[in-house]
Amino acid sequence: MRNSKRTDKWALWAVSTLCLGIPAVFILVPILAFVLNSLWHNDAGQLVKRLTLENYVAFFTDEDMRKVYFRTVFLCLSATVTNLVVGYICALYIYRQKVGSRLVLILIFTLPLFTSYIIKMYAIRGILGHRGVINELLIAAHVIQEPITAFIFSQSAIFLTLVVLYLPFSVLPIYLAMERIPENLRLASDDLGGKESHELKHIIFPLSLNGVVVAAVFTFVMTFGDFVTPQMVGGIDGYTFGRIVYSQFGVALNWPLGSALAVILLATSVVVALLSSLLLKLGVSR
Amino acid sequence: MQTPQELLKLDNICKSYGQTPVLKNINLSVYGNEFLTILGPSGSGKTTILKILAGFEEATQGVVLLNGQDISDMPINRRPFNTVFQDYALFPHMSVRKNVGYGLIVRGVGRAQREKRVDEVIETVGLTGFDKRLPAELSGGQRQRVALARAIICQPRIILLDEPLAALDVALRGQMCKFLKGMQRRLDIAFVFITHDQQEAIAMSDRIVVMRDGEIEQIGTPESLYAEPQTRFVAEFFGENNLLDGVVHSGDGTWAEVEVETDMGYLTCKSNNTATAVGARVAVAVRPENIDLLEDASRGYACKIEDIQYSGATYIVELSLQKASQIKLKCRLHGSRLPPALGVGDIVGVTWAPGSAVVIGKRDA
Repeated sequence: MRNSKRTDKWALWAVSTLCLGIPAVFILVPILAFVLNSLWHNDAGQLVKRLTLENYVAFFTDEDMRKVYFRTVFLCLSATVTNLVVGYICALYIYRQKVGSRLVLILIFTLPLFTSYIIKMYAIRGILGHRGVINELLIAAHVIQEPITAFIFSQSAIFLTLVVLYLPFSVLPIYLAMERIPENLRLASDDLGGKESHELKHIIFPLSLNGVVVAAVFTFVMTFGDFVTPQMVGGIDGYTFGRIVYSQFGVALNWPLGSALAVILLATSVVVALLSSLLLKLGVSR
Repeated sequence: MQTPQELLKLDNICKSYGQTPVLKNINLSVYGNEFLTILGPSGSGKTTILKILAGFEEATQGVVLLNGQDISDMPINRRPFNTVFQDYALFPHMSVRKNVGYGLIVRGVGRAQREKRVDEVIETVGLTGFDKRLPAELSGGQRQRVALARAIICQPRIILLDEPLAALDVALRGQMCKFLKGMQRRLDIAFVFITHDQQEAIAMSDRIVVMRDGEIEQIGTPESLYAEPQTRFVAEFFGENNLLDGVVHSGDGTWAEVEVETDMGYLTCKSNNTATAVGARVAVAVRPENIDLLEDASRGYACKIEDIQYSGATYIVELSLQKASQIKLKCRLHGSRLPPALGVGDIVGVTWAPGSAVVIGKRDA
């Protein structure tokens, strides 16, 4: 008895160490490394280990960089809000189906997650591009005379692509939150004389809000950090904060500045996540 | 209840899931202000009846009549019944006040009137002062009261209660029984109460419907079900009973005295069953408390005392028939009625008043 208890204790220790240790090593340590890197001085591509805040100062004093930052925040917030609205409608549609067909629908909606990012991107380019499906259709319909650039190599192109790419990350958490609502609550609403609109307003919507928050955080964090999409469909006009961060590492070889910008990116994501959960708390009135 | 008025009628309701029948030819009336309990073991179909009443399920066959009108196709939200769910189904994100007021909110009742009515109902169920709390911040009994308050606020014709006491501990259950019965009297509307607990049923009901395997076994007052069970199942489900198999020896078979030939010889029993024709195989049910023990074994049936258990107010004496020791009897005696000289192994005479034994047709033996 005592022996098995001791084994249990050891097993518990081992499991906790693994559960806490793996994230610590693979998530916390890299973040700390970034923070540390962001405090070093850059001397023409050479890293000088001298503590300084100049990288942060550079961000806050460079007007172009700030402009890109705020434009990206706005872009990602709009993509997030659009995704939440579209995602909510999709999730609600799936939720309203019979239990058997829900799984099939959820699979269809999340099918994009099973394909490669690059393939999806080229598919979208094929649709939005200069001689893409949309332009060709509009020309065939005599709406426009020649291909227009509204759909490709612009901020709106990035916006459209982000919405399409990240929709599953909204549908899934919102749907899961809905599915967790006990059937009895909906029956109770019906039983008390509620119509479907009451059920949606008073029961389903408030009880799926936590799914909306998760979806919002997912979408914002992922779109804000995404630098491949802007590069592929954004062109010269589609400069985003993620691309700046990337270029500091890949092109400019200014790791300290890149790290500082990465820390700012992370901080922005954390603030958005906190704000979202705060909104949730305020949104649910007793 | 003077001249009970039939409010609701289930007319020949059948329900099956695929090939499996769960309800077979249910005919049942609910009167205007009665406390009706549907009692049965799990799987007997009692909850299905409630679901059909509430509109959650559709009957495969038969109709539900409200004041003579067919309401089988009436949507859930238009039926003048409200349900207290087994797990209460309180809205977890709403305060007690909002939960209770929900039925009025969806009916578009104005704020001032709504608040006033909510206050009244919250006071009726004794939850004044708890109205700002969330369901998670309440005890089981309080949640139960919220569920009831939420159901009564729209002044339904019938309250449907689906095993609402199952989740409570025993002490609280007794208290809630009293509370529910009191509420039903006070509101003067019909309660249809589902349970598998015969104690609850006996304590609260005006009438009890005993269900078994999707069929109604017997409908009656608690007293009549206890005193005059019509089936073996009812006889054993309500309290303890001694059941003796036998054959009808004589009698006219309708509310008359019949003699039943059993292994114990002829027993004179009251018949409440028209099926007890001469020669019919029946069982005789004798309640343990109706059996008398006599020191003189030559009077009555000679039995050997197998065991005596003392349980405070009463002694429970287990007996076996001397002529056929496989036949066991149980007898419950108040202390003063147990002859002091008797002990385990003694032979005693067993008797009962002829009217206290009941003949049960063996249709479900």
